[in-house]
Formats: sequence, structure tokens, C-alpha cells
Amino acid sequence: MESTTVKASVEKLAEKNGITFYRIRSEKFKTNRVDVFFLDNLEKERASGNAIIPSVLKRGCQKFATQRELEIRLEELYGADVDGGCSKKGETQIVSFHMSHIADRYTSGRDKLFDQCSQLLMCILQYPVVENNGFKASVFRQERDNLVDYIRSRINDKMRFSFLRCIEEMCSGEAFAIPDEGYEEDALLLTPQKTYAIYREMITSYPCFVYMSGAIDDESAHRFIEQFSQLPRANLRKVVLPDVSKTVREVRRVDESMDVNQGKLCLGFRTNVGPSSPDYYPLVVYNGILGGDVHSKLFQNVREKASLAYYAQSVLEKYKGLMVIMSGIEQENRSKAEEIILRQFEDMREGRITQDEIDATKKSLRTGIKTMQDSQGAIVDFFLSQHLTRDEEDFETMARKLEAVTIDDVVRVAQKIQLDTVYFLKPNQPQP
Amino acid sequence: MNYKTITYDRLGETLYEYDHPTGLKAFLVRKPGYNKKTALFATDYGSIDNVFKKGDGKVMHVPDGIAHFLEHKLFEQEDGNMLDKFSRMGSSPNAFTSFNQTAYYFTCTDLFEENFRMLLDYVQSPWLTDENVEKEKGIIGQEIRMYEDSPDWRLFFNLLDCLYVNHPVKVDIAGTLESIAQINKELLYDCYNTFYTPSNMVVVVAGDVDPELVFTTVDDMIKSNHRGKPEKHYPEEPEEVNMAYKEQKLQVSMPLFNMGIKDPVRVSGYELLKRRTALGIILAAIMGRSSELFNRLYYEGLINDSFRFEVSADQSYGFVNWGGQSSDPEKVAAEIRKEIEATVERGLDEAVFTRIKKSHEGVFIRTLNSPDAIAREMMDCYFNKTSYFELSRVFEELDLDYVNQVLRSLFTKTTALSVIHPV
Repeated sequence: MESTTVKASVEKLAEKNGITFYRIRSEKFKTNRVDVFFLDNLEKERASGNAIIPSVLKRGCQKFATQRELEIRLEELYGADVDGGCSKKGETQIVSFHMSHIADRYTSGRDKLFDQCSQLLMCILQYPVVENNGFKASVFRQERDNLVDYIRSRINDKMRFSFLRCIEEMCSGEAFAIPDEGYEEDALLLTPQKTYAIYREMITSYPCFVYMSGAIDDESAHRFIEQFSQLPRANLRKVVLPDVSKTVREVRRVDESMDVNQGKLCLGFRTNVGPSSPDYYPLVVYNGILGGDVHSKLFQNVREKASLAYYAQSVLEKYKGLMVIMSGIEQENRSKAEEIILRQFEDMREGRITQDEIDATKKSLRTGIKTMQDSQGAIVDFFLSQHLTRDEEDFETMARKLEAVTIDDVVRVAQKIQLDTVYFLKPNQPQP
Repeated sequence: MNYKTITYDRLGETLYEYDHPTGLKAFLVRKPGYNKKTALFATDYGSIDNVFKKGDGKVMHVPDGIAHFLEHKLFEQEDGNMLDKFSRMGSSPNAFTSFNQTAYYFTCTDLFEENFRMLLDYVQSPWLTDENVEKEKGIIGQEIRMYEDSPDWRLFFNLLDCLYVNHPVKVDIAGTLESIAQINKELLYDCYNTFYTPSNMVVVVAGDVDPELVFTTVDDMIKSNHRGKPEKHYPEEPEEVNMAYKEQKLQVSMPLFNMGIKDPVRVSGYELLKRRTALGIILAAIMGRSSELFNRLYYEGLINDSFRFEVSADQSYGFVNWGGQSSDPEKVAAEIRKEIEATVERGLDEAVFTRIKKSHEGVFIRTLNSPDAIAREMMDCYFNKTSYFELSRVFEELDLDYVNQVLRSLFTKTTALSVIHPV
């Protein structure tokens, strides 16, 4: 049974003062949502300042002076959600806010949840509690402590920790090495005033994308745009996309030890392929064949054939042109695992790729593109990526470009990829 | 085809259900407009089912982790690995083993029927050899090692070890390196033959698929067998906890804590859904983000954004638990115990109850955005003798008296505390 695909598309509703408004219409979801993204260049001095803003804003606004009042209001609105966070795509730091609520047809019907939740979101963004030209000091200090605790807690998840350490070592000296939420030392230098100044800059001058998803009618959408456009805007900044090319002179090897049972091996590569390059889609297929899924060379050889690991996979960082291979192994199997991994890498380069492998990868990517359109969050993330790199592709063009990739394209891309850093998190003592 | 159609107008959902002559139940939740189609084939058999009566009447005690081991092994077939075969069709296969269930599933967008046939076929066709069982020990061994290094996982199982004296829910789902070493082909077949029988299983499909196609395929693929319903044995579990406190040192940045209460009340069906919902509302009222306690602890810097609570209620075990990071777990524990006591004393407030109930109903409706979540919930509810969509009725009927009764009977019991300290 071949089925028709239900396509998600985006319409640009307005663009003013560096804020672009989009709507993604659909009737199939039970929820409506609004996503707001403020973009900044990832810089050491500003990273933790940007990262703390959503946590401080969530602590209350002029209408709901405390977090508790806000949470109570959200419960009254059928478990609506207003939240924020901070992440990076390449060397762009993204401060994000969103609200979501169930559609009025699932409530008693009198609530007009979109308007009420939009107002909540706007209140948080626009009217924080301010004293002495800074954020409320008591709240600010707590959130700074929380941020520091959060930064420190990245050692808790060893898989993620080793991945981040590998990136940090590989990109040492480059902006991309800066963690999503910045560094502890910089977080400690933040004050209510300094952070408030960064917040003001965010509101007035960061490029901003707004997405409204769900069944939102014209009138509601325009009312929201009207309201949002009242944000004072001036001195608009520009986001600079990083250069992804880098020639590796010597492979860097970093071993660190910790009180853990399982060793974590991470190999970082420079793909030398940027997000808007014609080689980007061949790279996506390359990654799928090498380590993207259960049919991949890494899964088959490291896990299924050699029984060395539970996971062995590769992931791409689109905007910075990086690839990282990760696997959790016994310490004594380290060289064996590394050798098998690098053999797969070499096989790709030498073109030992079967038609079956590329077909399976392309099919799985095609499925991925279709299922993305069943999640409001994934749809928004897809279009944000497109807008960030100024590529105006939609799901269909992406599918078409992936479909057109040949084994020759993949091998050509394979020639460009270079091993940069091998990171190993090893157990402190050999286990008995 | 003789199947039932039930529409839930308020939820905007349609459920189709079919009874196969073998006793297997099949469901379809149709999701118009969705590209994703997911199908799940599950057995009412999980990590806690280590003692059972075989067809020949003999009672078996099998090694810890065997249900999970079997889950790994079913993917292996004589003509290759199923993961590979699904993957070649562009679909994404997976499986999970929980305390009480083992589920195999895939998600696809195209070729639903072919994928669905493959799923129904391989789960009914184990292919175990001494060699492939041995090979799997390396892979599962690394899965176990990975969990040994996971602070959250250790924290949770240490809490279960506090709560439970005998019940196997306290044992890690994957077992230990020692227990999986004892697993062999024969034991795996014993478990398979006991639990993978249609009358002990369910099929759930979620997506925009024709019911006729789903149920004729089920009819065509399900092999009849008359092994009968398995008989599970669980040890007697006392009302008292095993211990009130347990700690462990791991590489973490600051202490992690988890607290919980063991629920001695065993119910199933609609009553279970009602109890789960009531427990969720009680926890939210005492320590949810809108509570006085949460905000006080947060303001004092004793908890942070990582704080969560959870309800686990099944026919054969049940508990509530909550926790997160804290610089002073003992102090947080004392504050929470005090607040629980005070809440039991005064009962939940009518306005708070109504508000939280409304909010939790909204969260339930949100879940219906996800075909995967629907499939899992449908399976879980079926094995617990109810239907996920019955939750809609629970939200209509649940009243404060019942909730306060649950509050007073359960929250007066001992709370146990598990802590992970930094090395």
C-alpha cells in the first residue's frame, strides 16, 4: 500500500524590524503552539548571559509576579505550556520561547486559549520584573546558581559528556567549542544589570523568527503579530555563519579517566561540507550508510558482528560540518573497536558501498522526512534550520535532493572527510 | 470482517477493535492526516515474570534479565536480522522490555502491510542457537555496563530496593552480567513458549490505515496455538518497606535524590486508571510546580528544574516516586514528608483538585498527538484490563472524596529515600 504524503508547509505572514512571522497550518494536531527564536552569534562573553534569560523570565512577569502564579494560570488553561531554553546550531546561539495549548474544540469552548496563552507568552517576554535597572536580584541569583549547577551536571550523563568533550577538544579555539549554555566562569560574572542589558539587546536587536502552528485563523494570527510587533526594535544584528573548511594536520588524541565502568570512545571528524553546499545531501546519505541506523556499517560491524558495544553510531552537526562517531565499550577493547570503526570509514572512502546500503539509507531518510511532518516541534525545527541557513527548501525539495544522491556522490564526499580528534573516556581502574 | 468501531467525539478519535479466535486482541486507532504508521505486537510478560508454571505444570525459576534477553534475540531470524530487513524497507523497528511487558514495534510511512506482516511473523518465529545466544551476551553486557554508569538509573533501582522486600520489580530489567551468563537457548525457549501465546498478546496499530486491512492481516498471520494463559507467580510482598534509605557514590556533580511510597492496593481495569489519575493529582497538589512546597524549596535553592514526580501503578505492583538534584537531600526529604503529613491532615482543596484535574486532562489530550504514545498506552491499558480512552470518563467522574480517600490511605505510609552522592 503506497500512501500519499500529507505535507506540511510554511507561509510567511509578515516581516518587520528583523522579525519574521510564519504560520504552519494543520488540523490534525490537538494543540496550537507559538515558537519564538532569538539568534545571536555564539561568543564566550555572552553565551551564559543568553542562556540564563529564559530561566529568569520564567520566574514571573508584571502580571504574574511569581513562578507559582504563572504555573497556576497554566493549569487553569488546561495544562498549557509556556517555556524557554537555549541551544546552539553551529556557531549561532538560539534563545527560544514557546507556548502551546490544546485546541478550543477539546475544552468547554469558551476559553479562547490561543489569545490567553499568547498574552502570557508576551507578558514573560516583554514585562519582566525589574529593579535598579536590572532583573530582580533575588530571583537572578537563584537562577545563576541553577545555571552553574546545570553546567556542572553535564558529567552526569557520560555519553553526552564524552561527546561534548570530544567537540570541545576538536574545536578548541573556535566558537563552536563553547557549550550551549556557556561556561561556569562567565556565568559567575553575570549580574542582574549586565544580564538585563543582554536581555534588552535580545529583544531589540537579535534577528527573530516566530512560528505559529496548528489551526490558527487569520484574525488570531494577525492579532498576535500586531502585539509582538510592539517590541521596540533597533540596531539589528546579523548572524554570521561559520566557515566549515579545515585541513587537519595531525590527529589529536585525548584520554581522560573517570570512575566509570564503561569506556566511551568518540571520534570527531571534519566533513568540510557546509549546510548550503551541494554536497550536503550526499553527506547526509554518507552518514546514514556509515552510522545512521541499524543497517549502517558501524551498527553491523561493531555491534552485530564483533559484539563489542550496545551502541555504535555517527551523528552530523550540520551547521559546523562535523561528524562524531560514538560507542560505549570495555576498556580492553578500545583498539579493536577503533580499528573496526576506522575500517568502516576507510571502506566508505574507497567506495565499498553496496546498492543495498544506499537504498536502505535513502528509504530510511525518506521515512524520516515524512514522519517529521507529524510533529509540530519537528516541523518548526526544520523550517528554522532552513531560515537560518537562508535556504528556502521545503520537505519536498529535501526529499528530492536526497533521492538524487548516487554512490559516486557519497564517495566524492567521503574523500573530503578527515579524522580530527579521538577522545576516550576511560574507567579509572581496570575492573576485576 | 467482524470488528467493533468506537468513536470518541470529544477526543476526536476512532478506535477499532477485533477479537481473534485464539484470544488475541487487535486494536487500530486511526489517525487521519498522519504520515506515520506504527504497529506494536506485545506480550504480557516482563522482567518481573521470573517464576511461572510451564505447560507441563512444572514451576520454573529463570535467571534475571531473561525477558529482555529474549527481546534482543527475537530480532535474529534464520535468514538474517530483522532490524536489517525493516531498515531495508525504510521503516524503523525497535522493541522494549519493561517490568511487565515486552513490545515489538515499527514505524513506517509506506509499505505498511509488508512491514506489518513481517512484525507479526518474526515475533511468532524465534530462531535461537547456542552460538547466537552467546554472541548476544557481549552486546547486552555493554547495555548493562552503560546503565551501571547512569546515575538516574541507579538512583531509581536503589529506591525500588528500598521499597520492595521480595517483589522482582526491584531487579534491574536487563539483569546482571552474572545472571545473563546463566541464560541459554533452552531457558529462552521455555519462556517463549509460555508467554508468547496469542491469548497473552495484543496487537495495536496507530495511523491512517484501513481497519479491514489491519484485521484481515492479523487473521492471516496469527498462528493458532492452544498453550493457554500462562500462570505467573509473585512472591508475597509485605506492606513495610525493605529499608528507609540507601545511598551510592557515583561521578555526579551534586547529590541526586529519589523518594517513594509503595502502594499495597492491587486493582485493575477502570479502577486502576482512576487510581493512577488520583495519584497524579495528589502528587501535583503536594509537590507540583504550582504547589506552595515546590516553590518554597525552589526559592530556598533546595531543588531545581530537574525535580519530577511519577506514578507507576500496575496490577501486580505500584508505587509513586519523586526527586531530582539537591545540595541537601535529607533536608528536602524532611520538608516533603512534613508537607505530605500536613496535606493528609487537611485533605486536598476543592479548587486545587479541579484545577489540576483540568490540567491533567489537557496533558492526556496532548498525548493523542503521538501515534507512538497512543500505541503504548493502548497496550498497557489492555494488559491492565481497561482502555486508554476510558481516561476521558475518569476525568469526568473522578471526585474529590475518592482522591482524598486515596491520599489518606496511601500517603500515611513510609516514604523511602535513595541518594546518589558525588564521588
